[in-house]
Amino acid sequence: MAEDLNWAVGGEAGDGIDSTGKIFAQALARAGRHVFTSKDFASRIRGGYTAYKIRTSVEQVQSVVDRLDILVALTQRTIDENLDELHEGSAIIYDGERSWEAEIPDEMTAVDVPLKSLAEEAGGAIMRNIVALGAACEITGFDVEYLDEALEKRFGGKGSKIVENNKAAARAGQEYVQENYDLDHLGYNIETTDSDYVLLNGNEAIGMGAIAAGCRFYAGYPITPATSIMEYLTGRIEEYGGHVVQAEDELSAINMSLGAARAGARSMTATSGAGIDLMTETFGLVATSETPLVIADVQRSGPSTGMPTKQEQGDLNMALYGGHGEVPRFVVAPTSITECFWKTVEAFNLAEKYQTPVFLVSDLAMSVTEQTFPPEAFDMDEVEIDRGKLVDEDEVDEWLDAQGHFRAHAVTDDGVSPRAIPGTTDAAHMSTGLEHDELGRRTEAEDERVHQVDKRNRKVETARDDEDWDYREFGDPDADNLIISWGSNEGALVEALDYLREDGIDVHVISVPYIHPRPDLTEEIEAADETIVVECNANGQFADVIEHDVLTRVKRINKYTGVRFKADELADDITEKLSEEVPA
Amino acid sequence: MSSDVRFTDFKSDKQPTWCPGCGDFGTMNGMMKALANTGNDPDNTFVVAGIGCSGKIGTYMHSYALHGVHGRALPVGTGVKMARPDIEVMVAGGDGDGYSIGAGHFVHAVRRNVDMTYVVMDNRIYGLTKGQASPTSRSDFETSTTPEGPKQPPVNPLALALASGASFIAQSFSSDAMRHAEIVEKAIEHDGFGFVNVFSPCVTFNDVDTYDYFRDSLVDLEEEGHDPTDYEAAKEVILDSDKEYQGVLYQDENSVPYHEQHGVTEDMSEIPDGAPEDAMDLVREFY
Ligand SMILES: Cc1ncc(C[n+]2csc(CCOP(=O)(O)OP(=O)(O)O)c2C)c(N)n1
Ligand code: SF4
Repeated sequence: MAEDLNWAVGGEAGDGIDSTGKIFAQALARAGRHVFTSKDFASRIRGGYTAYKIRTSVEQVQSVVDRLDILVALTQRTIDENLDELHEGSAIIYDGERSWEAEIPDEMTAVDVPLKSLAEEAGGAIMRNIVALGAACEITGFDVEYLDEALEKRFGGKGSKIVENNKAAARAGQEYVQENYDLDHLGYNIETTDSDYVLLNGNEAIGMGAIAAGCRFYAGYPITPATSIMEYLTGRIEEYGGHVVQAEDELSAINMSLGAARAGARSMTATSGAGIDLMTETFGLVATSETPLVIADVQRSGPSTGMPTKQEQGDLNMALYGGHGEVPRFVVAPTSITECFWKTVEAFNLAEKYQTPVFLVSDLAMSVTEQTFPPEAFDMDEVEIDRGKLVDEDEVDEWLDAQGHFRAHAVTDDGVSPRAIPGTTDAAHMSTGLEHDELGRRTEAEDERVHQVDKRNRKVETARDDEDWDYREFGDPDADNLIISWGSNEGALVEALDYLREDGIDVHVISVPYIHPRPDLTEEIEAADETIVVECNANGQFADVIEHDVLTRVKRINKYTGVRFKADELADDITEKLSEEVPA
Repeated sequence: MSSDVRFTDFKSDKQPTWCPGCGDFGTMNGMMKALANTGNDPDNTFVVAGIGCSGKIGTYMHSYALHGVHGRALPVGTGVKMARPDIEVMVAGGDGDGYSIGAGHFVHAVRRNVDMTYVVMDNRIYGLTKGQASPTSRSDFETSTTPEGPKQPPVNPLALALASGASFIAQSFSSDAMRHAEIVEKAIEHDGFGFVNVFSPCVTFNDVDTYDYFRDSLVDLEEEGHDPTDYEAAKEVILDSDKEYQGVLYQDENSVPYHEQHGVTEDMSEIPDGAPEDAMDLVREFY
């Protein structure tokens, strides 16, 4: 395991915690270090504890751990909330001049820095967090020039004076620690490399993937944690000829996206649990009208309004089964931030190739986590676009019936019909959520009904054969024990492998990015002595699906506290599960 | 667009299943005439229909069309128009579809001022579900679900539109064929959201708001010399609940449709084979 450093800044919501953390994360990325961030936040705007945590290493990091080395505490609560992660070697930066008296356990190093006064000297109290960052640089032996670069990026747009003041604030913090403390004994020394990394979160990756894939229209209604997809696209998608609409509700959002998709645009909407509920009726319409549409669900804790700012993977059943009647669909679940990008691209291709809704299921943990990657991880030259059976004027003739009507819902062997967008001569047709014939006209004839249902379902069968529904593998493929996971748990699981290996336990990990259709895991499960399915929900929704597929009982690790899995904790859970008896 | 398009080109060969005498026949004919008269053809027209007897209009017309879910026709039309500013978009539905389940969308489509035409077939009853009260039913109108009448005042769709910032408000009567077609034509030609509430009698379930009733009570605003560009005059007739009016009640001459305000002018259906050329810039932002 690489030497990593765990750093956090915490305070009250509204204290600028997020931007402080982000600046430090960017400075580390600039220095060629890998970064993995996580956020603790409550569902309120001002007040309430909030923290931004950074784990950094020269090697790739993709999970949080139960350890904090440096903590910038703007409130006592920040210290209390993190007590069990702090250790003897931890340093806590705080402002002793402020009205609260920090209660810091004796064994830890208290670094009292007059954040506010130093910031005021540098040009304004608002920069007290930057003073703290300067202090953190000194404690960790991190070259403050990288911080300068991050400050330039952050405040460059606001003029050179602001940038200079911030740099001065950082220097003041650094020098204060240098002059008043001798912290060499803590032994922190942040190593830098000359790598070039980008730092982004899962929602940004989804938004970027959408633009890369040619998405031109997005309609959404604000909901945590999906909103940042809309925020990312706003102002950016326009540069590529697209447009974002903040709809009046989710019903409108999905219907607008549907309209744009029928008009020929690659189109998307995104929401979270409650919004998905509202969209479900139209979800069926998207399928029966055979409209290509990408619907992203960034899951959070439910049911109902649940815990809006907390992690969960509780909407899987909704994605798989939601909606009245039987609806053919694809459900794709990115397993990492880079996959948020690539699976979004794929979702658009699937939607157009098979003319049906594609659920892109992500989760809160992934949406707010920022992680570093080499820019090649998002190589735009690798993006391929497949618009499926989009017919142009010359091809329309092939699809006309004897009376010259366009067979928009033609029953084909692969279940996919030709698709003509408005403006295509002689292909005018109507589509409806009512059961219909090949021309889109309402019918209740038994044979027509069966033909259309079979045809729609056949798309998924065709795709099952024609596409790669592969999975990602980690650990030892020959190990006796198999761990299966979906969505954002992959990172923690991959790191848990290291802890398990230290304890002499080898496991085979399969991380599944496709939920429907999904890879057939029968062979792997039968070959394993034990199988454990890991997911962030209480009932084991994916475990149920797997058991159904392979007719074998599996063990389950479920976390539904609202907090994502940590690598070390997960390793312990796995060790414990392995020793339990297999369920009958 | 071709100049030799006739209104029958917008007719599908599916026979309507509306009750004989239903007002929706006339409403639809007027819509088709208006589309043809404004130089549109089926290949460049998109009709979005709601759910209800009225919503069946998409089936009986010939054009690109989507018959969606109850109450959501306006958002679909909005999406079509944003993706394709070159396409003529017409949205049609009933009073239940538009002012009850879809009321929220109505307010927002109006205020967005998307350049499309919205025709509401107002029969003051739920036809397709066989005769329940609708939001425009009179407060004493007895139905299966309101045996003593709804006891609430009806929604005034024109006032709702005005309050939401409408740029074009009109009302017509399906059986006054010439006037109805003319009014829809004006709505199509309007730069922005052209809203037309059409009295379209239900001969099966509404024996109050009948052809005779409208024929006797309708006041034609054109004959009255009403100036639709005069906001105060428009307000007065719209809030006047004593009379039933037909004609253009209000038209904002300075209306700027959504796509112009937001610079949404591109044909969004055209995209490159791979990522856009400068897409690596998107990644660079995260350095
Ligand atoms: C979500 C939903 N709720 C209820 C219905 C049943 N429904 C179909 S049409 C309709 C009312 C139609 O009334 P209106 O819009 O006035 O149209 P009309 O039939 O009178 O033309 C209702 C309630 C439905 N299709 N979907
Ligand atoms: S029930 Fe009324 S609205 Fe429906 S078709 Fe018959 S007359 Fe027309």
